[in-house]
Amino acid sequence: MATAKRYRLSKLERDERRLGYALLAPAALLLLAVVVYPIAELLANSFYSFRLTRPGYRFIGLENYAFALFEDDRFLHSVLNTVIFIVVTVPGALFVGLGLALLANQPFRVKWPVRLGLLLPWALPLVFAGLIFRWFFDFRQGFVNWLIELAGFDPPQWLSDPQLAFAAVCVAIVWKSSSFMALILLAGLQTIPKSLYEAAEVDGASRFQQFVEITLPMLKPAIVVALIFRTITAIQTFDIPYAMTNGGPGTATETMAMYIHKTTIDFLDLGYGSALATLMFLISIVATSVYLRHTKRDTGRG
Amino acid sequence: MLAKLGKRKTVWLAAAIVAANGFFPALWILFTSLKTEAELLRHPITIVPHDPTLLNYVRVFVDQPILLFLWNSLVVAGLSTVLCIFVSALAAYAIVRLRIPGRNIVLSVLLAVSMFPLISLMVPLFQTMRTLGWLNTYPALVFPYAVLSMPVCTLVMASFFQDIPNDLENAAMIDGCTRLGALWHVVVPLAAPGVFTAAILAFVNAWDEFLLALTLSSRVTSRTLPVGITLYQGEFAFPWPIMSAALIVAIVPVCLLIAVFQERVVSGLTAGGVKG
Amino acid sequence: MSTYRALFASAALALPLALAASPADAQQTTLRIFVGGQQRPDVMRQILDVYQQRNPGTRVEIEIGGATSDQQQQYLNTVLTSRDAAIDVMLIDVIRPAQFAAAGWAEPLDAYLGAEKDAIMARYLPAYREANIVGGKVIALPYFADAQFLYYRTDLLEKYKLQPPKTWEELASTARTVMQGENNPNLRGFATAGAPIEGTVCTFLVPMWGAGGQFLGAQGKPDVNSAQARRALQLWTDLKAANVTPPNLAEVVTDRIRVDFQAGNLLYAMQWGYAWNRFQNDADSTVKGKTNVVPLPGFAGNQPATCIGGWQIAVSAYSRNKQAAVGLLRYLSSPEVSKMQAILASHLPVFAEVYQDADVLKVNPWFQFARNVVVTGRSRPVSPDYPEVSEIIRTNMNAFLAGTRTADQVIADMNSRLARVYR
Repeated sequence: MATAKRYRLSKLERDERRLGYALLAPAALLLLAVVVYPIAELLANSFYSFRLTRPGYRFIGLENYAFALFEDDRFLHSVLNTVIFIVVTVPGALFVGLGLALLANQPFRVKWPVRLGLLLPWALPLVFAGLIFRWFFDFRQGFVNWLIELAGFDPPQWLSDPQLAFAAVCVAIVWKSSSFMALILLAGLQTIPKSLYEAAEVDGASRFQQFVEITLPMLKPAIVVALIFRTITAIQTFDIPYAMTNGGPGTATETMAMYIHKTTIDFLDLGYGSALATLMFLISIVATSVYLRHTKRDTGRG
Repeated sequence: MLAKLGKRKTVWLAAAIVAANGFFPALWILFTSLKTEAELLRHPITIVPHDPTLLNYVRVFVDQPILLFLWNSLVVAGLSTVLCIFVSALAAYAIVRLRIPGRNIVLSVLLAVSMFPLISLMVPLFQTMRTLGWLNTYPALVFPYAVLSMPVCTLVMASFFQDIPNDLENAAMIDGCTRLGALWHVVVPLAAPGVFTAAILAFVNAWDEFLLALTLSSRVTSRTLPVGITLYQGEFAFPWPIMSAALIVAIVPVCLLIAVFQERVVSGLTAGGVKG
Repeated sequence: MSTYRALFASAALALPLALAASPADAQQTTLRIFVGGQQRPDVMRQILDVYQQRNPGTRVEIEIGGATSDQQQQYLNTVLTSRDAAIDVMLIDVIRPAQFAAAGWAEPLDAYLGAEKDAIMARYLPAYREANIVGGKVIALPYFADAQFLYYRTDLLEKYKLQPPKTWEELASTARTVMQGENNPNLRGFATAGAPIEGTVCTFLVPMWGAGGQFLGAQGKPDVNSAQARRALQLWTDLKAANVTPPNLAEVVTDRIRVDFQAGNLLYAMQWGYAWNRFQNDADSTVKGKTNVVPLPGFAGNQPATCIGGWQIAVSAYSRNKQAAVGLLRYLSSPEVSKMQAILASHLPVFAEVYQDADVLKVNPWFQFARNVVVTGRSRPVSPDYPEVSEIIRTNMNAFLAGTRTADQVIADMNSRLARVYR
C-alpha cells in the first residue's frame, strides 16, 4: 500500500525473492513433515529388529536386507509378480488406451457420453474396480463365465487358478488404467493439425499410412510420458489385487506393496517392513530419475 | 452416399464402444443393487433384475454406518483439498511469477514427490501417527492427502497462472496493491477455473485413496467409503447386493461431480499429465 | 452440592461399581466394548442393557468392526498400537491371547480376580481355561465357545439308509453313493474353507490331528513333515479327484459353505456353530429340519479331532476405566450370560452345566451333540506371532488346494517358515 512508492529495482527483486520463498514455505513444511521426516524414520527403522508384538528395539545392521534379498522367497516372488504386472499391464493399458483414444477422437455431436465413458473408470476408486472385477470373474455368478457358458465352453475357475487369477487381475488393471491413458493420448491427438492429414490425403496415403506416418510420430511425446507415468504407478500396484484375490491363490498374485502391507500392518513387523519399503523406495527412485531425465530433455527441446 | 452412411455408423459404433467400456461396470453394480440375494444366487445369472427392490439401499443406510463413512470421506477429502489448494496455489504462483533461483529444483522436487511410492510412505507414517496417537483420526489422512495431490495441483495451477497477463497484476500493484493483494484480488479470480480444476483433482484423489486410509484409519468411526465398503466383505458374509448398493452410494457423488465438470477435469488431467 | 448428591445416589444404586471406581468417575462411567460383526452385536446389546439396569452408573457402548477374525485384529491393531484409550473391553478370537499377552495389549486380570482366581477359572471348560491363561497370567475370560462340526443332511442319508460318517473314508464313500443316486449336477458331497482365510488353517489341522498327527514336534518346535500331515493333504486331493468337493475349493470362504448348504447343494459341510441357526431360521433355507451335526471324522483307527473356536473378552491395557471394565468382564463371562447367549444367539456355552440347562436345550436341542464336539476340540497353535503362523499355513493350504504346490513343497515351505517364527 504505502510502501509501493518506495520500490526500487534491487529492492523489488529482493522482496520478490523473499516473497517467493515465503510462498513456497508452507509446501516445504508439509513436505518435510509428511515425506522427508517419515523417510528418515523409515531408513532408521530398517536397521532394527522392531516388532510391535514383542518388546524391544535392537540394532541388527543389514540383517533385514540380507533376509529380504537372499532368503525370503515370498518377497522375491512378490517382486517378480510386480514386474510381470508392469510388463503386462503398462503396454496393455497403452494399446487399449490408444484404441479408446482413436475411437473417441471423432466428430461427435453429443460429446458427453464418450467423455464420461473415459472419465468414469478414472474416477472409480481402484479398490472398487477390484471388487467389481472380482465379481465379474466369480466362478458361478460371474459375468465372464456367463459369457463363456453362453458360448458353449466349460467355465474356468478364474480366481483359484494362479495363471488365470493373474490374467484376471491384469484385465482389471488394464481396464482401470487405460482410460487415463486414453485421456492423455486424446489430448495429444487433438493437437495434431488437421492440415497434415488433408495433405496426406491429397498425396493418396491410406488411413493406415496416415496413422503410421503422422499420428504415431506426433503422438510419441504423449505416449512416452504416459508410459513412464503408468510404470511408476504400476510399481505400487496394491488395491486391485487386494480386493480381487488378496494375493491368492497362495501368493500367486501378491505384489511387493501387498507383502509390505501385510508385514507391517498384519504382522506388525515394523523393522522388516521398513527394510522392504526402503527397497521399494530405491526401485522407485531409479524409475523416477529416468522420468525426470526424460522430461528435462523434453522441455529442453521445446 | 453409402460411404457417408457407413461413416456415420462407424462414428456411432466408436462412441458406443467407448461409452460401454466406461459405463458397463457401474451399470452392472446398479442392476445388482436392485436384486434380491436369492436372485443373485440364481444360475445362470440374470442381467436385468427380475423384480427390482430398493431394500438393499434401505439396508445400506439402516444396517451399515454408510452415512458416517460418507461424512468421513467428505471431511477428509474436503479438508485435504482446501489445505492442498492453499499450499499449492502459493507455490504455483511463486514458481510462475517470482524470479527465484532454484525454480527448477523446486519443480524437480515436486515431480519426485508425485512419483513417490505411497507404500514406502505408509510404513513410517503408520509409525509416526501411532506415536502421535493420531491413528483413526482425520489429521492422519488430511495431511498426507494434501501432500499427495500437491504436485499435480501445483502444476495444473501453474499452467493456468501462466496464461494470466502480467500487466493486470502490475496495474494492480501500481494502484497500490501488495504482491499478495494482487494475487488475491486479481490473479485468484482470473485463475479461478484453474484453482477449481485442481480442487476437483485433489478431491477425487482423496476420495478414492485406499491404502493409507486402510492403514491409518481402519476404526469404524473414522473409515472412509473405500475402506468401509471393502471391509464389508468378509469370511462370514459376502453380501453382494448390499455392497453394490453401497458402491452406488459411494460412486454417485463423484460421478455427478465429474459429469458436471467434465471439460474442466479433462483439461486438468491433461495439463497435469502431459505438461508434468 | 448437587454433584455430591448425585454422587451419593449413584453410589448407593451401583454399589459394586462405586466401590470399584474412584469418586470422580462414579457419576457416570462410559465403557466401550469392541465386538466383531459376526458375534451378534444385537445380542450383546440386550445383555448390556441388563447390565446397565443393574449398574446405573455405567453406560456401555458397542463398537462394531470387522467381519472376519483377521479384520477384527487389523482393526484392533490400529487402536492398540497407538495406545488409544477409546476401547476399554474387546472381544478377541481364541487364538489371540498369546499375542495380546506378549504385546502387552491386554491388562492381566490376576490382580483384579484376587483370591477367587483359581475358583473362577475352574468353572470354564478346560480348553477355554487353558486358552486364556498365558505364562501363568489370566489374559482374558471366555465369552462363548465355538467348534467346527460336520453338518449333514438327515433326509439324504435316510433316503440311502446311511449312517453319518465316523471316518473320512466313510465320508468319501457315503458322499459318492448319495451323489450318484441323486444325479443332481449342483449337489456336492462335502465342503470346507479353502480360500486363504483363517478357517483354512483348520482344513489342514483337523485331518492331520484326525490321523494322529501333532503340530509341534519333539523339541516343542513346529514340525509338519510327518506321514500324518501328508495323509491330511492326500485326503483333500482324493476328495477333489472324486468330485466330492466343489472344484473351486480354493475359493471357498466360510459363509459360502453356509450359503451352498442352505441352498441344498451340499450333503456334508465342515462348518462353525453359527450356521445352525441360519439353516433352521432363514427364509431361503431349503434344509430346515433336515440338518444335524456330528463330530468331524478322523481316519479309521484314530481319534477324531476338531478345531475349537470361540471368543474371549479382554480389558485393554490402555483403558482408563480398568476396574469398571473388569466388573463388566466378570458379568459377560458368567453362566447367566452364557445361558442368555445360548438362548438368544445359539452361542455355545463355555460352562459344562449350561449345555444341560433345560431352557437352553429347548431352544437348541442340538447342544446335546454339540457339547461332545466342544469338549474334544483342540486348540490351534499358540504363538505371540499367531497371525504369521496362520498366514503360513493358510497360504500354503490354499496353494495346495488350488493345485499350484505339491504336498512336498507345502510341507517344506511350512516347516522352514514356521521355524523362523518360532526361532
